[in-house]
Amino acid sequence: MEKQRPAEEGLFTWPSDEPQLMGGRCKSCNTYFFPKYYVRHHPDCQDHSAVEEVLLSRQGKLDSYTIQHFPAPPPFTNPEPFAPAPIGWVSLPEGISIPGRLTGCELEEIEMHMDVELVVEEEGKDQEGNGLLIWKWRKK
Amino acid sequence: MRDVAVIGIGMHDWGKFPDKTFVDMSAVAIKEALADASLEWKDIQELVAGIWVWGSISGLNPGASITAMMGETGIPTTNIFNMCATATNVFRAAYNIVASGSKDIVLAIAADKSPKGFFTTVGVPDPKDPDYLRWKMIGLTNPGYWAIQLRKRMEEYGTTERHLAKAKVAASKFGALNPRALYRKVYTEEEVLASDMVCDPLRLFEICATRDGAAAAILCSADIAKKYNAKPVTVAGVGEGSSVYGDPTARLGLICGPVEATAPLISESYVSAQMAYKSAGLGPEDIDFVELPDNSSWHYLQYPESLGFWGPGETERMLDDQQTGLGGKLPINTSGGIASFGEAVGAQGLLQIHEVVTQLRGQAGDRQVQGAKVGMTQTYGQLGNSATTILKI
Repeated sequence: MEKQRPAEEGLFTWPSDEPQLMGGRCKSCNTYFFPKYYVRHHPDCQDHSAVEEVLLSRQGKLDSYTIQHFPAPPPFTNPEPFAPAPIGWVSLPEGISIPGRLTGCELEEIEMHMDVELVVEEEGKDQEGNGLLIWKWRKK
Repeated sequence: MRDVAVIGIGMHDWGKFPDKTFVDMSAVAIKEALADASLEWKDIQELVAGIWVWGSISGLNPGASITAMMGETGIPTTNIFNMCATATNVFRAAYNIVASGSKDIVLAIAADKSPKGFFTTVGVPDPKDPDYLRWKMIGLTNPGYWAIQLRKRMEEYGTTERHLAKAKVAASKFGALNPRALYRKVYTEEEVLASDMVCDPLRLFEICATRDGAAAAILCSADIAKKYNAKPVTVAGVGEGSSVYGDPTARLGLICGPVEATAPLISESYVSAQMAYKSAGLGPEDIDFVELPDNSSWHYLQYPESLGFWGPGETERMLDDQQTGLGGKLPINTSGGIASFGEAVGAQGLLQIHEVVTQLRGQAGDRQVQGAKVGMTQTYGQLGNSATTILKI
């Protein structure tokens, strides 16, 4: 049976039927950030110790997108054969927008501000032949 | 702080030079600047150099290899990297050294040799670094970021694909008039629209190439400048900026941003320009022409608005009315821009300054802006980083 693993650990919950992105939040200044390592505080924040890990909402709206008509360079692992790849930024209720590949629809069906949800899919393989998992935003 | 003047400028041609090191290219730019200022290398009292990130240790300390080439005089050397704003920050540092009275004659130099194809991550892969992750987990390229930002703009202002093409056409008209530009062809809108779609809606000819280049400037105290150059150009103002909390621009190299806009788009560039205007005691209405970072047609549309030249959504109309060409309301990128040179990330800011100085001296030939008295340079910068200069004569 083919093995799969997250392309990088620590970014989304896995294995899971309803995976979530693992972000961070400062409870004091109410700033959310992703990944959890790239900490951001409001300039007026008085308590930097109030940072916690949070699981981010799975539902969002497509802010904007592009379609990349060429394979991305390493370290990305493109699927074979290559197909033009839609990539979008998605707004979440937490007040942050996070990019990811789009999935679950044809290119012509992508609409600005459409509802999407977070999924995890395989995109390419590592050198041992394991499937590499990344998060994507799927049209609802 | 005392007044500072630019007394010498020099550059190496932009292009691909596999047989030349960044030091070789730096030396060409430096020697041209020295000749322009009637100076010898030993007259340089301090050096500020742009870091070359693709080049291992010697690239991280270019001051050492440059002084080895030019002759080791023991002068202070500082090496700076601020992404695409590197060269302008090099210039700003040199300016501050002279303005403070610390030294009288300082060299600003930056060279870059771009790797093949699209840029990818730099340094040791770090799974905690957002820039590494945008490549590893998404494969989102630089033009991809710009295209995503552009589509939002198009939805908001009704920008058409013709407007994207017009930006390239306008840039190419100036490139054709610049003997030092790499790309000298004048494009038509049809040719641009016929080029391959790269990151929808940006086409190939609406995205800059990457190239090698080097440029230098020599700054000195204004009260002695006329000894070295008959037409010294005064540094009226400098600015530098970083991102402001609440800026919703999809920031190159990050994978998270605020949804609600409580700060201006490209805030790092906005605050950098404001700082430069304030330090110069001038406003956008005083600027006769500007060199802005046209990495893509999105930049060309967005930047004039962020720099305060006209209101949001108005660049499209300016392009329709050809107001960014010679004789227009605001000539943009009389050098031909990055569109006509390709981008050498670390060096681009000093290429912009080279053009502004040339214009202010009245030496721009067929692309001369009539009555040019005040020029501005502005860079973009990955991760939110930017720098601005305002020069006058």
